[in-house]
Amino acid sequence: MDYFVSTVIFTGIALIGVLGVYLITGLTGLFSLGQAAFMAIGGYVSAVLIRNYNVPVVPAVALAIVAAMLAALLVGLPTVRLRRDYISLVTLGFGEAIVALLNNSANITGGAMGISGIPQLTTLPVVLVSVVVCLALVILYKNSKYGRQCLALRSDELAAKSMGIDVYRLKLITFLFAGALTGYSGVLFGFYTTYLEPAAFNWIISAEWTIIVFVGGVNSLTGTVLATILLTWLPEFLRFASEWRVAIYCVIVLLIVNYRTAGIMGERELSPKTLRRLLGRTKEAPR
Amino acid sequence: MLVQNILNGISLGSVYALIAVGFALIFNVLKFSNFSQGGVMTVTAYAGYVASRYLSDRLDSLVLFAAVLAAAAVSGAVIAAAVERLAFRRLRRTKSEPVYYFISSITMGILLENLITIYASSNFYSYPRFFATSAVPLFGVNVAVTDMMMFALSIAALLALLFILHRTKIGLGIRAACFDVNTVQLMGMNPDFLVTTALMISGALGGVSGVFLGMNYTLYPQLGQMVVKGFVASVLGGLGSIHGAVIGAVLLGILEIFFISWVGAGWAPVFVFIVMLAFLLVRPRGIAGIIVQEKA
Amino acid sequence: MKNGTRKWLFCAVLVALLAGFVGAASAKEILIGNMQDISGPTSVWGNAVTRGAEIAVEKINAAGGVDGAMLKLITMDTKANVQEAIKGYNSLVSSGVVAVVGPPVSNIGLALGPIANKAGVPVVGSFIDPRVTVGEDGKPQAAMFLMQPSSVQYSEIMASYTIDVLGLKKIGVLYDQSNAFAVSLMKPYVEYIKAAGGEIVSEQVYTKGDKDFKTQLTKIKEAGADCLYFPNYIQEAVLVTNQRKQIGFDVPIIGGLDFAPPFASLVNDPEAANNIYLANNFSEKEPQLKEVWDVYKAKYGENPVNKVFLGYDKILLIQEAMKLAGGTSSEHVMKGMPVVANLEGTTGVLTISPDTHQPVGLSMVMYKIEKGEYVELGRYVPEKHRAPWSK
Repeated sequence: MDYFVSTVIFTGIALIGVLGVYLITGLTGLFSLGQAAFMAIGGYVSAVLIRNYNVPVVPAVALAIVAAMLAALLVGLPTVRLRRDYISLVTLGFGEAIVALLNNSANITGGAMGISGIPQLTTLPVVLVSVVVCLALVILYKNSKYGRQCLALRSDELAAKSMGIDVYRLKLITFLFAGALTGYSGVLFGFYTTYLEPAAFNWIISAEWTIIVFVGGVNSLTGTVLATILLTWLPEFLRFASEWRVAIYCVIVLLIVNYRTAGIMGERELSPKTLRRLLGRTKEAPR
Repeated sequence: MLVQNILNGISLGSVYALIAVGFALIFNVLKFSNFSQGGVMTVTAYAGYVASRYLSDRLDSLVLFAAVLAAAAVSGAVIAAAVERLAFRRLRRTKSEPVYYFISSITMGILLENLITIYASSNFYSYPRFFATSAVPLFGVNVAVTDMMMFALSIAALLALLFILHRTKIGLGIRAACFDVNTVQLMGMNPDFLVTTALMISGALGGVSGVFLGMNYTLYPQLGQMVVKGFVASVLGGLGSIHGAVIGAVLLGILEIFFISWVGAGWAPVFVFIVMLAFLLVRPRGIAGIIVQEKA
Repeated sequence: MKNGTRKWLFCAVLVALLAGFVGAASAKEILIGNMQDISGPTSVWGNAVTRGAEIAVEKINAAGGVDGAMLKLITMDTKANVQEAIKGYNSLVSSGVVAVVGPPVSNIGLALGPIANKAGVPVVGSFIDPRVTVGEDGKPQAAMFLMQPSSVQYSEIMASYTIDVLGLKKIGVLYDQSNAFAVSLMKPYVEYIKAAGGEIVSEQVYTKGDKDFKTQLTKIKEAGADCLYFPNYIQEAVLVTNQRKQIGFDVPIIGGLDFAPPFASLVNDPEAANNIYLANNFSEKEPQLKEVWDVYKAKYGENPVNKVFLGYDKILLIQEAMKLAGGTSSEHVMKGMPVVANLEGTTGVLTISPDTHQPVGLSMVMYKIEKGEYVELGRYVPEKHRAPWSK
């Protein structure tokens, strides 16, 4: 039972983080190889506030999210003006810099030895409610003016610019929102594992999250959710394979990316409309 | 101290350069950053080790070293060709966007690294000593023989690459493919062949760097994660530019060494990040100044 | 009547047999979890510990098991990752293991502590960070047990040897600032040296993935250090050893466990692998090792690394705890572990302190590497570590 619950909790935490990547990569077409850094910021800020300064939980969490957004602003302001290819480089450097920062401020963060003894506040209901709220926020964003502008930006930045979209501002807003989401997932992570260490937040995690978004289908939020659930549970099902576990996982991802390039869901969403179509006319049902 | 730092930086940068040039070559042809290069490097480092094990009884130090390099380069080329077939061929058929190549190559890199973990994780391994690990004085400071060897061979490999690209027919084809793969096809060349060749060349370079990394840093499956440095260098150099990648790599090496001696290794990544950001803001086209047309 | 008796007898035998089978199938297996890095960056250790534990389980089973029940090892991959480890631990608990052989990685131990205390299935590991076994309130973590010297004990052994035996007082320190293992071995060392009247003339750091330490080594050299303390992983140990020679910095290296074999053969240069001191858990010549050594060599065709023996001893400890508490459930292991005393393991005589859940007065075997060869200097334990009652 504990096993099931802990896997669900980790899936929920990953999902909130991946939603941030979805906003940046899926919706806006930018690459962030430093997204895990925001997770680290969220987790560390809330843990340090509660443990070292006895700040109550709610303000600590709020401050953690604000800190993640500030960091997003800091890295976003110069980055959004750069070419797309550079954004992945700058975010990568940013992620490494944050890890270095955490290692260097040992008197606050515990350095490489990490912070232990964080109170365990993340429970199953907390995670489930958080997931629903974050998902709702992302759906609202996707369907808002901003969401549509993001899609325009993703398919053609030049055209979007010429249509009068303020691309820099748009990218920055998306960056901030994603930073907040990822930061919050870091808060939940710290409050569940009760232990944080800088090494857990390297660029490989960010790359894995990007892979999840692509496996789901770049534009599809439903796909992202499905892929997160699928890809966080897959390693558990593959436990029988022992040391081959990661290799098999990679092969499956490769097959999906190569043979179903649009991802599991393509650009489709699960909405009342598609549901009706699914149930009514099976011919047009998604493959 | 200054001279020592610069020399250390150049020797570090020359390893970065081999990786960065592989990145630049593939970026030219396929317009994405090929992270599978890291996995290829890991595999070739082990392939070189296996070769050295088999040949060490039969060959002498320098000949052995050359044979090991050759074996690693060949295996790097073969693996890169396999990667092309498994991870990129289908994406090219379906004319997918570069981002998919990127995802595919990262996954392929993790897969290769993991296969090596499975194959070789019962012990640590290291290369036999090809030549004395001593240092010779140069400009009043000590320079390691391996570092000089590495530097010289990196330059040789890069010159060979430039020769192939600019003096052979295949090179002409690859350069043509850099402009437009489809037009190349119209001109009666086989794009599959050209893309595979480009990947094989970058795989061979990866093989050479794999042996260097393995020699200097012992063998372990995560060796290939050094690929990130090559990525940084190639982007700084100006995407797709081979000269730029080399300059970017050497600058990155020197920068890292200088920051380590000024502010310590702990803070170095923070400062490298700031310099990188400032540089990209001031000169967004990279060192070489080629601006690859953004997909419109 | 004869016929009747025979029928009756037949039935009785059948029932007895059936009962025997049912009994054997239900109660005669004790599950022990084993959480190791099998597919991640530290899988060399993970595999070594697993193999050692398997050898111990096979030996115990061949001798009739524990209370007539066979031990069975269930291995879980952690990928050296906290999140994977928590999932793996919970999965082991739900499959009914009575104890878990922990990984030689402290961060996982730190994260598992609260969860294991709650679940009540003890973890016996070689996580050397003392925070794993002793909580912030100074009380032992109920379900966490250490079976090798903690980082504090280990670095004090090294520091005491540096200053009290070798008489070196001007020390340069180089460590990986991003690595918990290195940091936990650095701090107590520096404290001990300073308290004993030594001086840290230069403290240099690097971070994960760095390969070139000449800059740092040059600084330490220029600060006039008469030895270099370098508590880090084997890959970096090889690099530093070679680069020390390249910059002509010829002072002794005081190193950690990672300088143990196969380190010298990896350096592959007797000129460079020279003048290095280290402390290992055991000596290759000590007789208690031979049995495991031979079994390992016959099975895998290579020499075992020291983590193999740690894995072996972890199983011995669990078995001893069961014996002492008189039962094979997880409660029994929890009850038995803190009272284990004078258990002859392969890595030394193990006595677990009920106050810290760490071994008491465990000595280490000192070695010096001279021209690529390991020279044994005998077991060493600083005065401070000896329990008042032992001699």
